[in-house]
Amino acid sequence: MSRRNRGNAGGTYVNNVRGPTSALTSFLNERGIRRANPAPAPPPENVADNGDDNNEEPASPQDQAAPSSSSSTPAPASSSSRLTRTARLTRGRALPTPSTSASRSNELDGVNDDSDSDDSDSDDSDSDNKNLIPIAVSTSTTRAVRATRSRVAAVASSSSSSNTVASSSAPSSTAKAKAAAAAASKKRPRKKDASDDSDDEDFHDITGHISRSNFSHKGRIPQGSNKIVFCSRCRARFTIKAGTTPAVDEDDGGLLCPSCAGTGSPGPLKNTLPKAKPVKRARRKAQKAEIECHIPTLQDLCIQKIANSIEDVEAFGDISDISLDKICKIISRNRSLNAETLQLFLDARHSELILYDCTDITAIGLQNIAQFCPNLRSLKLKLCGRITNEVMDYYTEHLTKLASLTLIGPILILEHTYIKLFETIGTRFEKFELKGSSRFSLKAIKALCDNCPNITHLRLGDCNLMDDEWLEPIAGLTKLKSLRIRNPEPDKLTTSAVVKLVQAVGSGLEELELKGCNGLTDEVLVDAIRPSCVRVERLNLSGCEDLTTEGVETLFKDWSVNSGLTYINLENCVMLKDEALMAVTEHSGATLEELNLSGMDEITKDALQTLTRCGLKIVGREGDYVDLRFM
Amino acid sequence: MSSLTPAESEYVTLESSDGFQFVIHREVAMLSGTVKNMLSSPGHFTESMEGVIQFRDIKAIILEKVCKYWYYKARHLNSVTEIPHFEIEPEYALETLMAADFLDT
Repeated sequence: MSRRNRGNAGGTYVNNVRGPTSALTSFLNERGIRRANPAPAPPPENVADNGDDNNEEPASPQDQAAPSSSSSTPAPASSSSRLTRTARLTRGRALPTPSTSASRSNELDGVNDDSDSDDSDSDDSDSDNKNLIPIAVSTSTTRAVRATRSRVAAVASSSSSSNTVASSSAPSSTAKAKAAAAAASKKRPRKKDASDDSDDEDFHDITGHISRSNFSHKGRIPQGSNKIVFCSRCRARFTIKAGTTPAVDEDDGGLLCPSCAGTGSPGPLKNTLPKAKPVKRARRKAQKAEIECHIPTLQDLCIQKIANSIEDVEAFGDISDISLDKICKIISRNRSLNAETLQLFLDARHSELILYDCTDITAIGLQNIAQFCPNLRSLKLKLCGRITNEVMDYYTEHLTKLASLTLIGPILILEHTYIKLFETIGTRFEKFELKGSSRFSLKAIKALCDNCPNITHLRLGDCNLMDDEWLEPIAGLTKLKSLRIRNPEPDKLTTSAVVKLVQAVGSGLEELELKGCNGLTDEVLVDAIRPSCVRVERLNLSGCEDLTTEGVETLFKDWSVNSGLTYINLENCVMLKDEALMAVTEHSGATLEELNLSGMDEITKDALQTLTRCGLKIVGREGDYVDLRFM
Repeated sequence: MSSLTPAESEYVTLESSDGFQFVIHREVAMLSGTVKNMLSSPGHFTESMEGVIQFRDIKAIILEKVCKYWYYKARHLNSVTEIPHFEIEPEYALETLMAADFLDT
């Protein structure tokens, strides 16, 4: 219960299960109004009712425990306060007698529809649920907390594969069983206290035969109800499909769940798909074993603890910056970096911030970065697809000390936002890295070069609009020390333009990267790099497949103006032969620290022996310095 | 005392940076991907032959927590009854996270 409201910032959660929502639904949800069971009453009515019901309902559930009339329950079912729903579920659990089955079934339907009503967009629910599930894993702890939501969780989990309503439709039983088992395995920590996994089993069996194409809102709720009952032997909760008879325990006349009733002959399921069942059973038993093994990993537990105790920063003690960065990496790797765990890294004293995976950080969370860390000098946001123009403008205004910005994957940012950023930062700007933006245009790069003459590091990768025209303004950046151009669209950058660029800025460059610029010929090496790049220490020409041995030889042979490179990357320069490598080692052998020859399959061991001349530097450090993959 | 060689013994020893030694069941330690690889690698490494692993970056108190977690997991792995929550003190949460990440557990 305590978890319920966590993580609501910017997202929508129904019982901690997030489904796709329209703007209206999310608006209502924030106010505690949930769409109720649409079958008994049309949605607009429910919406109107909900405002009142929210206050009344908490008092009423207990009163409705006894009566089993189905007429009474749709009305409360139409109220959508979370508390009520949960209370009713609790009530349902506490009263396992069949007499209240009708009310419980409507509860169930109400529950179903509550979660279903959020699945308004079939395309979204899949991706949303898929995104949801890892979050759910990492934030779930006590099963008791989740216990009351297990039904909803099971329902939502089975809907994750079908994209639609949970209990009464699903494409194929196998796909559903798999996905539901996978999803249920993630939601396992949420399972009820004494319940068995037979819950999930029954759900799949019940709805196996209704295909997505036959889905209709009316048909969603099976008439005559699914009953939730308790097994008299193992006390597990299970569902009896409408119209089928459950196995009965001879001794005390109580109902038996399928597993107690005997393997391979589930009583309640006799009426459905008898052929498919044995296969389903076997597969499900295997998946059941998987599900039952799921205990959260220690990493997850730690992250949850951190997320919970985030208010209590003192509790964590002193953390060095290196550790903090390491923790950021770990949390990102576990896909748990969200608006809450983010708080751990936001501190007014920080001048540098690197966030490795901002996929789950909403726009508001990203804005918080500027609010909490106004003194940032360097900001690096990886996978920041969610950053909006408003947030970017906010950064522009409030991060007054920002000098270095890295954005990887900012798909939403438009040209004018970039231009505004450059105009505001102006001469302060030193390092700019942008990867993966198809909206960064010529105008933007011109604005950058006009407004920010002090740029020392410029890195542009995967920018679809990049072409020769971009290289002209870049040539005007006289203070450039590091230039990286990665993966432009094939054949958009011509050799002559690149040559001109390198000739213009080459003398100051310490690092030059032209990765993935296929189509570049030896001219770049001979006419541009050789004469101009006197200071360059790091050279990356990977993916430039048209470079020939002669070109490389000409570059490195007697390249006296350059005193030796420390990093050379010739990955996938497939045409290069032994002489090229020999020329490289001849020239830079003494200074070389890292060498990447991956993919150069023409090289023989003779050339490789020259690597021994590379001095101690290349083997002295730790790590992987000579990359000889695919050779 | 078992007459098995250290490589086959039921127990393995994990040593923390501050010199504490934790002797735990081999099976339990194998819940960690890193330890599993260390103990079962085909090469003649000290770890796999002696059954002793030294962690120079992990403090005793953290390593103890991790061992407790492994036993908790091993105990409840196939349980159908309610699994109790495994508590981690907030002051150790960060270091435990780093250790857990290293140990792939």
